[in-house]
Amino acid sequence: MPHRLYAIAELFSATKRLGGTDVLREFNLAIGAGEVTALLGPNGVGKTTAVGLLTGRLQPDDGTARLFGLDPSRPAARARMGVMLQASGLPDTLTVQELVTLQSGYYRDARPVAETLAIAGLCDLAKRRCGSLSGGQTRRVQYALAICGRPDLLVLDEPTAAMDQMSRHSLWDTVREAAASGAGVLLTSHDLAEADALADRVLVMDGGRIVADDSPAALRARVGGSVVRCRTKLPLVRIGVMPAVRDAIREGAETRIATIDAVATIRALADADRTLADLRVADASLEDAIAVLLTSPERIAA
Amino acid sequence: MTAATLPAGVLRRECVAELKRSWRLPQFLLPTVLTPAAFYALFTLGVARSPSPEAVAASLAGYGVFAATGAALFGFGAGVASEREQGIIEYKRISPMPTSAYLGAKLVTAMAATAMSVLLIYALGVIAGARLSAPQWALIFSLHLASTITFALIGFGIGMRMSAKGAVAVANALFLGFSVLGGLWIPSRVLPDWMQLAGELVPSFHLGQLGLFIVGAPVMGDPMTHGAVALLMTAAAGWWAYTGWGRSPA
Repeated sequence: MPHRLYAIAELFSATKRLGGTDVLREFNLAIGAGEVTALLGPNGVGKTTAVGLLTGRLQPDDGTARLFGLDPSRPAARARMGVMLQASGLPDTLTVQELVTLQSGYYRDARPVAETLAIAGLCDLAKRRCGSLSGGQTRRVQYALAICGRPDLLVLDEPTAAMDQMSRHSLWDTVREAAASGAGVLLTSHDLAEADALADRVLVMDGGRIVADDSPAALRARVGGSVVRCRTKLPLVRIGVMPAVRDAIREGAETRIATIDAVATIRALADADRTLADLRVADASLEDAIAVLLTSPERIAA
Repeated sequence: MTAATLPAGVLRRECVAELKRSWRLPQFLLPTVLTPAAFYALFTLGVARSPSPEAVAASLAGYGVFAATGAALFGFGAGVASEREQGIIEYKRISPMPTSAYLGAKLVTAMAATAMSVLLIYALGVIAGARLSAPQWALIFSLHLASTITFALIGFGIGMRMSAKGAVAVANALFLGFSVLGGLWIPSRVLPDWMQLAGELVPSFHLGQLGLFIVGAPVMGDPMTHGAVALLMTAAAGWWAYTGWGRSPA
């Protein structure tokens, strides 16, 4: 696991209640400088709330949030942070260049606007009004707003959703550069290939707590070997006790089985279920590792 | 928030951007600027045949407050609600920008719209024979600009609490209520008793009476009291706006 010599954003025992329930309870989180931290997990487990507390959008009901050692609700704390939110709109009647210039003006050591536009692939769109942009172009403007101030903490919420392949890879390159030059990056994503490609550290959240904190490679290694996908009528409890099986989950019609010996597992499966179909075997991915992590014992038994 | 930690000129750049945004929305700007002047021309200069210069000036005082009401309630109330729905405000809140820059820019824009509108009304008034001294012009202009603050704070509190559709509806109702009860269209003295009584509760009445005082027209009650009540109501509107800002993470 990477060392975190210097935490630039932290939650200490933070509790946040929304609509009468504790979304986060006594939650701890530390984001280090110079590394990409991916915060993963299903919808509604508190990722957005955790990010909201760190960025000063939300106030903790209990516990503390610290951004560069300060209360995130203070503009001075946010002066070194750039954020890309999923659902933030742009003012329709300003041009891309005007908006990026305005946002750059909030930062002490902002990049030249032309450079920001070039990084985000917006040079051709500089004079266009934000209201006339497509979904993917809007995402690129939001990305430009996040990086224009050379932030020491970059918070990216689902950054590449609705982006084309080229913009996506250019964003990945910039994120890697930012981390290499010492900035901390906090990434939430549904795209686990993205997290695998970028993250130095993966935090998996479930039910308001962190259930895993490791490098992507270490997480993949936890699942071990391979993942067998198939259609089978066998109950998960029976699959769970088959040879070499580490874990089994069912998603819709598909059953996913993590195994350290695919051949032994498949042999047992085929013997037990004559109707076994759609069999595929692959190396365990980060997605498989997380799916297994998020499956509680009760679900396996069900 | 200390000024030293943020680059200078944030407020100025925010104002310029906000003015540009509004300027590029003629469907907002034109009705906001032209409607009060059109009403003034119609009801004061058109309906009454050859009104006295005193009546023209007295009416000008009220219609200026009316112009401030529109610019502030719609630009600041309904506008803020739709920005909130689009997530623009949320992004501003997490940007390294002090809240005051955002609010200040909005206020300056609303005041600019008010200024354009009242200058048009003044021009019409002068054409129709209104004669005020230079200090009177300066005072009435200041009053009309300051009125924008009161209504902007009310509108902002609405915009932070309601959906864009709801905010427009409420702003419309208030716009009408403030105008009628405040005696901005028809002088309060000719309104029925219950409307005069209700008028005491709206800031537009007190601001309108201050306007009458400035142009030397007869005032209902004590001008100092009107000033004090208007200030108190503005302070209450400030609290309403502040608590609205605080509760809006959604």
